Amino acid sequence: MQQQSNTYIIVFSAITTIVLGGMLAMANQLLKPRQQKSIELDTKRQILNAVTDLKGKKGKEILDFYNQTIDGIVIDINGKKIEDGDNGEPIKADKVNVAGNYKKPPEERVYPVFVYHKPGDADAVESYIIPVYGNGLWGNIWGFVALDTDLNTVKGASFDHESETPGLGARISSEEIESRFKGKKVFDESGQLKSVVMLKGERNPESMIDEHHVDGMSGATLTSVGLNNMLQNYFKYYSAFLKKASKKNVAAL
Amino acid sequence: MSTETLERNKHESLFSKRRKKFLVDPLNDQNPITVQVLGICSALAVTTQMKPSLTMAISVIVVMVFSNLAISALRKLIPTRVRIIVQLAVIATLVTLVSEVLKAYQYDMYKQLSVFVGLIITNCIVMGRLEAFALGNKPWDSILDALGNGMGYGWIILSVAFFREILGSGKLFGYAIFDAVGIHNFPTNGLMVTPVGAFFVLGLLIWVLRTRSGYVER
Amino acid sequence: MIDLINLGVKSIFIDNMIFAYFLGMCSFLAVSKKVNTAIGLGLAVTFVLTITVPVDWLLLQYVLKEGALTWISPEFANIDLSYLSFIMFIAVIAAMVQLVEMTVEKFFPALYGSLGIFLPLIAVNCAILGASLFMAQRDYTFTEGIVYGFGSGLGFLLAIVALAAIREKMKYSNVPDGLKGLGITMLLTGLMGIAFMSFMGISL
Repeated sequence: MQQQSNTYIIVFSAITTIVLGGMLAMANQLLKPRQQKSIELDTKRQILNAVTDLKGKKGKEILDFYNQTIDGIVIDINGKKIEDGDNGEPIKADKVNVAGNYKKPPEERVYPVFVYHKPGDADAVESYIIPVYGNGLWGNIWGFVALDTDLNTVKGASFDHESETPGLGARISSEEIESRFKGKKVFDESGQLKSVVMLKGERNPESMIDEHHVDGMSGATLTSVGLNNMLQNYFKYYSAFLKKASKKNVAAL
Repeated sequence: MSTETLERNKHESLFSKRRKKFLVDPLNDQNPITVQVLGICSALAVTTQMKPSLTMAISVIVVMVFSNLAISALRKLIPTRVRIIVQLAVIATLVTLVSEVLKAYQYDMYKQLSVFVGLIITNCIVMGRLEAFALGNKPWDSILDALGNGMGYGWIILSVAFFREILGSGKLFGYAIFDAVGIHNFPTNGLMVTPVGAFFVLGLLIWVLRTRSGYVER
Repeated sequence: MIDLINLGVKSIFIDNMIFAYFLGMCSFLAVSKKVNTAIGLGLAVTFVLTITVPVDWLLLQYVLKEGALTWISPEFANIDLSYLSFIMFIAVIAAMVQLVEMTVEKFFPALYGSLGIFLPLIAVNCAILGASLFMAQRDYTFTEGIVYGFGSGLGFLLAIVALAAIREKMKYSNVPDGLKGLGITMLLTGLMGIAFMSFMGISL
C-alpha cells in the first residue's frame, strides 16, 4: 500500500481512532469510581466545614464522620418533605445538584437539608445545614450555612466560588470572612426575614455590625452584593421549612 | 531545526553533547516562551499562585513527552495530508487522560485549573515541537526535546507565579511567609493578582532575560 | 432578553478573552503589527466563535453529557461521554476553520495572502477552544452560547485592533533592545488591561 494513497490514509485514520478512543474509554472506566469518590468527598467536606472544624481529617475519615453525623432530607419550597425524585427512586440529599436546580424557577426546585447530630445519635440534633447558590462577580458562588437548633442563629458558614478575584472576592472562602457569620440571626424577633447582610467596605463601626449584618470586604463590593442576594434568596426559599421545623420535630414534617 | 538526524555512530551515548543541547537550550537560549514566543496563552492565567502553576507545568511536560514520543515513533507511518489532525488527536487524547487523572486524584487542583488543563491542547508549544522536531527525529531525542522545552516553559511560569503570589498575597505555595518571618501587614499589591500583573511581570522578565542573552527580536 | 444583552456586553468588555483570560495571545502577538491584518483576523475569529460555540453546545447536549443519548434509546441514560469533549470540540473547530479558510481563499484572496499561516492557526487558538469550554462549564443555553461566542469574538477583535494601532505608532519609538517585540507588547497589554478593568465596575 503506497503511503500517500487514500486507502492508506483511511486505514491509518481508522486504526488511530480506535486506538485513541479505546485508551480514553479504558481510562474513563478505570478512573470513574475514584473521580466520583473525589467529588463526593469534596461536597461532604464542604457541608461539614460549615459547622465543624475538620482539621487533620483525611479522605475516608471525613466520609465516615459524615455518615455518623449527617442525615439528609429533601424538601420543596413549602417545607414539605420529598421522598422520591423524578425517576421514582428515593432522593438523596447529597446527590441533589444544587447548581442544576438553580436554573429552575424556585417553585420547582428541590431543597436539601443536612441535619447534623452527635455521632451515632440521630436525635441529638446540633445543627441544620442548608446549601446556598448564587452569582458572584465573575462566576457562580455557593456554600453551606449551618443554623443552630433554633433554626435562626447561624452556627457557621462555608463559601466557595469558581472564579472570584483572589485577594478580593475570593476572600469569601476564607476562614476570616466565614467566621464573621457566626452568631448572626436570620429572622428578627417578630419572625420577619432579615437575612444576614454584608456591609459595604471593611472596618465599619461596631454600631452597624448588629445581629443581621457582618463587616464587608474592601474592594470586593460586587462579590458581596452577590453573596447578600444569594443568602437573601435561599433563606427565603427555606423559610417555610425553617418556620415549620422550629416548631416541631423534623421527622414529623 | 527540523533535521533528519545524520548517520552517526550507533553507540552515541544517551546524554551525548548533542543530546544535552536538546535539554539545555530551551531553558534559556531557545526558551519557548521568551524566545520562541509560544505557549503564552494558558501560561499566564494559572500563574496567580505557585501550586497551580506547578501542576500545570508538570501536566504540560507529561503531555509533551508522551506526544513527542508517540509522534516520533510513528513519524514514518503518518500520512502527510492528515498529519495535523493526527497530531491534534494524539494531543487531545493525552490531555484528556491528564485531566481525568487530575479529576480523580487531585480534585482541588482540577477545580482550580478548570478549563486551562483542556487548553493545553491549544498550547502552541506542544504542537510546535511536534511539527518542528518530533516529526523528523528519533524517539529518545524527541523525549529530550520535550523535556527541555517543557522545563523551559515550566521555569518561566513558576517565576511569574513566584512574583505574583509573593507580591499579590504575601504567600508562597499557600504559606504566609511574611507572617512567618514576623513581617505582618505586608502591603500586598492587588494588581499582581489580576491578569495585568501577569503581563507586567512577564514583560519585565523577558526584558531581563533578553538583555542577558543579547537576543533582539527582528 | 436583557440578560442576553448583559451577557453580550460582559463578554466583550468584562470577560474579554485577552485581557481577562489571556486566551488568544499567540496569534494576538504575531498578527497585531498591522491594523488591517488585525481586523481580518479578528473578524475571522469572531465568525468561527459564533459558529463553533452553538455547534459544540449541540454536541454536548445530544451526545456527550450524562444521559444525553436518551433520544436514541432510554437505556443509554447512564452513559456519560463528557470525557470525549476535548477531542470532539477540537475536531469541530478544525473543521470550521477549514471551511473558513476555503471561503476566505475564494472570496478575499488579498486577506488570505496577508494572513498566511495564521488562518489555519485559528484552529489552535486558545480563545476558540476556551470559549467552548467556558460555555460547557457555565452551562449556558443555546442562545446564550451564540451571544457569548459572538461577544467574545468582538472582544478579541477590539483588543487586537487596539494593540495593532498602538504597535504601528510605536515603530517610531525608541524601545530598548531587550524589550523589543514580545517584551513591550506584554507591558502594553498590561496597560490596556488596566484600562479595561474600569469596565468591571459596571453593574448590569
